[in-house]
Amino acid sequence: MPLILFILRKAGQALATMLAVSLLVFLALEVNVDDVAVKVLGQFSTAEQRAAWLEANGYNAPFLWRYLEWLGGFVTGDWGMSTYYRAPITDLIPDRLAATAWLALGALSLIVPFGLGLGVLAGMRPGSLTDRVVSVLSVVTTSIPDFASAVFLSIVFVFWLGLLPGASTMIGGFALKELVLPVLVLALYSTGYLARITRASMAEVMATPYIRTARLKGASLPRIVFHHALRNALITPITVILLQVPWLLSGVIVVEVFYAYKGFGTLLYEAAINSDIYLIEACAMVSVLVVVTTQILSDLAYGLLNPRVNLLGAPKPAKGDAA
Amino acid sequence: MTEKSKIETTSGKPAHPQVESLCDQLTAGRIDRRSFLRSMTWLGVTAASASAFAGFIPAPARAETPVAGGKLRFGCAIQEITDPALTSWIEASNLYRNSLEYLTYVDADNIVHPYLAKSWTPSADLTVWDFELDERAKWSNGDAFAPEDVIANIQRWTSPDSKSSNKTAFEAIKLVEKTGPHSVRFTLSRPVASLPEQLYSYTCAIVHRDFDTSGANWPANPIGTGPFKLVSFEVGRQATFAKRADYWGTPAHLDEIQYIDLGTDIATHLAALASNQVDLIYRATIAEYDLMKSLPNIQILTGSAAHTLVMRMQVDAKPFDDIRVRKAVQLAADNKQMLDVVYRGEGQIGGNYHVSPIQPDHFPLEPVARDVAKAKALLAEAGYPEGIDIELTLGNTQGRWEQDTAQVLQQNLAEAGIRLKLNVLPAAQYWPVWDKVPFGATYWAHRPLGSMTLDLAYRSGAAWNESHFADPAFDAALDSAMGTVDPEARKVAMEACQTILRDQAVMVQAYWPARFSAAGKNVRGFVLHPADYFRMDGVWLAKA
Repeated sequence: MPLILFILRKAGQALATMLAVSLLVFLALEVNVDDVAVKVLGQFSTAEQRAAWLEANGYNAPFLWRYLEWLGGFVTGDWGMSTYYRAPITDLIPDRLAATAWLALGALSLIVPFGLGLGVLAGMRPGSLTDRVVSVLSVVTTSIPDFASAVFLSIVFVFWLGLLPGASTMIGGFALKELVLPVLVLALYSTGYLARITRASMAEVMATPYIRTARLKGASLPRIVFHHALRNALITPITVILLQVPWLLSGVIVVEVFYAYKGFGTLLYEAAINSDIYLIEACAMVSVLVVVTTQILSDLAYGLLNPRVNLLGAPKPAKGDAA
Repeated sequence: MTEKSKIETTSGKPAHPQVESLCDQLTAGRIDRRSFLRSMTWLGVTAASASAFAGFIPAPARAETPVAGGKLRFGCAIQEITDPALTSWIEASNLYRNSLEYLTYVDADNIVHPYLAKSWTPSADLTVWDFELDERAKWSNGDAFAPEDVIANIQRWTSPDSKSSNKTAFEAIKLVEKTGPHSVRFTLSRPVASLPEQLYSYTCAIVHRDFDTSGANWPANPIGTGPFKLVSFEVGRQATFAKRADYWGTPAHLDEIQYIDLGTDIATHLAALASNQVDLIYRATIAEYDLMKSLPNIQILTGSAAHTLVMRMQVDAKPFDDIRVRKAVQLAADNKQMLDVVYRGEGQIGGNYHVSPIQPDHFPLEPVARDVAKAKALLAEAGYPEGIDIELTLGNTQGRWEQDTAQVLQQNLAEAGIRLKLNVLPAAQYWPVWDKVPFGATYWAHRPLGSMTLDLAYRSGAAWNESHFADPAFDAALDSAMGTVDPEARKVAMEACQTILRDQAVMVQAYWPARFSAAGKNVRGFVLHPADYFRMDGVWLAKA
């Protein structure tokens, strides 16, 4: 029951967030109706043609009315036509989102095992050689922006070694080879970040009294790590992993554009540079939806991993507290 | 040279009266062969007989025999296409160029050839033009190509509610009428000598007569007369064309062409070329030159064209409404430095009048030397003794070199006390404001003749007159240049146009950049057309 209440409350908050964002997006893109007409009809259209288009499409109605109409259309699945792609937006987004999901899945399949593994290895013995090597590598990879590592990896694997394709258009269908470079760029950045977070969390747990007790009882290091430390040490990294998902699904514009990967990031980029306002609005809403959904999932995961967290916000009495 | 009597027209009719004069001028050495050939073909003379008269030796036979078949992959932006007459990017036209054809064809040497029109005959005063259409031409839906198609196209370009740039370009056309089962007549309000050449502008692809009634959306209803048919089209992704077995003309060599959208980063295009994902890329710039040179498995394609960046000032917007300010900007600019620093000297210096030395009607004006002291004096005279703050808006529509050029200009102007601020917009956001900002840097594509560019951009009230320049003396000189076939007389008229434009200090037009592209080593027959009009029917892939 508390779980259902929690989900309902979070869903309400998510809805409020989406409404606020939708108003902001609509305000930014459609408050100047003349701009809308120029964007839709093109620069060579005449003032008369623009005025006729605005009249025919209801743009002479008050702003709030237009917003409510747009919102109604959005909720009922009428997301409009893309002025650049000349296709219904509801046809465009699912394919692109699926393509980006493949990219995200590829990246996560490297980020999670390597980030967690290296972080745990480093945090098990803080100050050891392993810890220092992992820490330095993590700092280096997280310091290099994705556009720089994309260029660097292309120089090495495409131009120098000739091992991998330089563009990831997937024109001939899904090709694992074309996924390698964009996945590597994303993984390089996030693995280091996750390793650092995991290392800090692990090191903190390893210094707690209950781990010391386990050591004094003569438990082996693997037993201490896997039986006692890991569950507590993973709380923060898991949250970080879940927070990577919205970034991987809607924020990887640079990597997708660099490799000509036709995912959601490229769609948003092309919508923006071609002033395709209906598509920008839809992409913005989908991005917000992805963010709020993953936040709810992240809160749920946090609650499951850490029993001390009360999902409904009321503090749980600690053991030993007087009633 | 052969005799004048051997000159033949495409129509078989007697040659235009000016043909004899052109032959005399060539014989006397007053015009060069290229100008001669171009002017002769405008007047409906066959390129072969004009070449023979000029003593051109036919090119030796190709060392390799073209190989039929194969699929070529072309890295190129896949932009939205609906109505070809409304296209605003040449890339898009290169896609439908495979399926849609033009009345005439202008080759890379700017010589006009028959295409859908097999001949044309102008009246002596160049105001009535008779076009004979090729009776073999057929639409892919089985319809015969007919005069009604031509009439429907011209009417939709020039109708009062047309949104096409063709409306300005062909505003001289008063009437177009059918004169026979395969012939049409154009009646003009003023003489236009270069009409056959203008009909190959990228927005002049001939669509089926029912285009408007069947939805006015070419990819949705891709009927064409050309050698390829559209098989698939996905904006921002890919487009595929297949060879038409029933094509009416000389069949293409390739079986299939696939255009692949590789995004906006040219380094990615080269990476795709290097890793054999594409066989040809649309364009490279000087920024990629070293990278291209380092790739062993590609061929670098180079060429020159009358394309340039024009940093123009609106003559009716403050502070540029004062000619002294405009002149100060022009005098402080170092055109040579912009070419040397930004394009490593690969190109030609501009003379601030937007006519290129490679255009046959160019008149070589004496360059005006840079004079920073005079620029400062002019500014002080105009009421800015402490210098002036101005802003240049640009959009890097063709690449980063545009911004690099503006940055060198910024340094140049600083020496004269002109503090230039750069307002850099994304490419797609520059086009909505390109003709509105007081000081803007606009890329202008190649046009075969200088007078064509001047007519579009600097005639009083012209649709693309972004500088708002208006001068009756300039318009009169331009009318004279455009209505003259005689290349020498045309150059005299162009001298007046160029001088007025330069002395009115409308723009800083620093240089004409060289053009680059790249292809796989097995690509043959691809011509880097100066206007980026790429015909693919002559392209083939050599066996490895």
